[in-house]
Amino acid sequence: MAEIDTSGGGGGKHGGKVRGKKLSTKVDLTPMVDLAFLLITFFMLTTSLNKPKAMDLSMPKKDKEKQKDVKEGQLINVLLGKDDIVWYYETKEGNMTDMKQTTFSGTGGIRDVIMRKHARVDRDYGMDEDKKTKEKTHKTIVLIKMAEGAKYKDMVDILDEMDITKSKIYAIQDIVPIEQETIDNDGKVKTETVTVKQK
Amino acid sequence: MPKVKIPRKSTSVDMTAMCDVSFLLLTFFILTSKFKPTEPVAIDLPNSRSSIQVNDAIKISVDKNGKAYINYPSATFRLKTLEKMGEYYKDKYPQLTQLTDKQKNNFAQVETFGFDSKSNIPELLSKKPDEISKMSTGIPMDSLDNQLGDWIQAGRYADVDINHPTANGAIRIAIKGDKQTDVKAVQQVIKTLTDNDIHTFNLITTLAGGSTSATADQK
Repeated sequence: MAEIDTSGGGGGKHGGKVRGKKLSTKVDLTPMVDLAFLLITFFMLTTSLNKPKAMDLSMPKKDKEKQKDVKEGQLINVLLGKDDIVWYYETKEGNMTDMKQTTFSGTGGIRDVIMRKHARVDRDYGMDEDKKTKEKTHKTIVLIKMAEGAKYKDMVDILDEMDITKSKIYAIQDIVPIEQETIDNDGKVKTETVTVKQK
Repeated sequence: MPKVKIPRKSTSVDMTAMCDVSFLLLTFFILTSKFKPTEPVAIDLPNSRSSIQVNDAIKISVDKNGKAYINYPSATFRLKTLEKMGEYYKDKYPQLTQLTDKQKNNFAQVETFGFDSKSNIPELLSKKPDEISKMSTGIPMDSLDNQLGDWIQAGRYADVDINHPTANGAIRIAIKGDKQTDVKAVQQVIKTLTDNDIHTFNLITTLAGGSTSATADQK
């Protein structure tokens, strides 16, 4: 196969005695090497591609809840709804008048919304500095809430966005009834709830 | 003038050395690779760009229907956990203290399990490990009967006995949810963890595809 016969004719000249043809003891190992490398490739690919990664998640401790002085302008509420729809509003909790809708897409989605928010918060409130790494961090506070119909994938996606946009202060919170109502009402404030608030 | 004959040399290369090396590599990869553990349900992991490796952890799987299963790192760990379950929660699950060695052994063979500890456990554990895995119905974790929390606690006690961890070296807890799981089920698991004073844990994901991470890096 991989060998070229170079012995050139052979026999003939000597005549006389009939000798048993000497067979080479060499075995062609090429197919075996082929097979071995194929298997190596297979094992390498299957082991390295199958490794699951993990992300860290910390929940606040209930007893040690430190109340920081929070300005309303630092807040952004992100609500995850069904069918990958993301709702957000930037005022304090329960004030639903400027609820907007966006998606998870890389451009024009929630990532851009958070980046714009960062820019505004940096301008109005300055930036924090990490004591250890001396790295500047944004002061934006992201409140993440899961509305009816949100999938686990959405939760992982928004946590990933927190990492991408370098938002250090975020928390997963329970949704407030009025927020769920507004989402059910397609982002518009229900008239009854407004009158209740005014009383 | 006689022709100068260039001696024809054989073009064959000795393959023995190459064969040796390739089989050595092959053996290495086969021995180091860990096969995917058999799971009662297939879980389609969500993508993320984080890249933390989690090796030894108590993994809580949450399937599409919101049922929870638990996976301990090794067979000895599972045996120890079962022992601890009997020790700490014997009033709640009296059945778990009355298991035979065979049944305990069967339990240790099941990598990912999920069943109601108040159902007929001895009968279930008399079956073959494969069948036990298939019959998993999920561990109850509602607030009235939170058995998942007990299993996690028992796992942490077992970890203390086996690995003698220092305060910050305790075993990690990881949540393995399906993409399509209702987030409420995952939040219930998280609530169970925080109720048991576990505030830092991991979410298991797979690495996102190249395109998304590339756009992420530009930002």
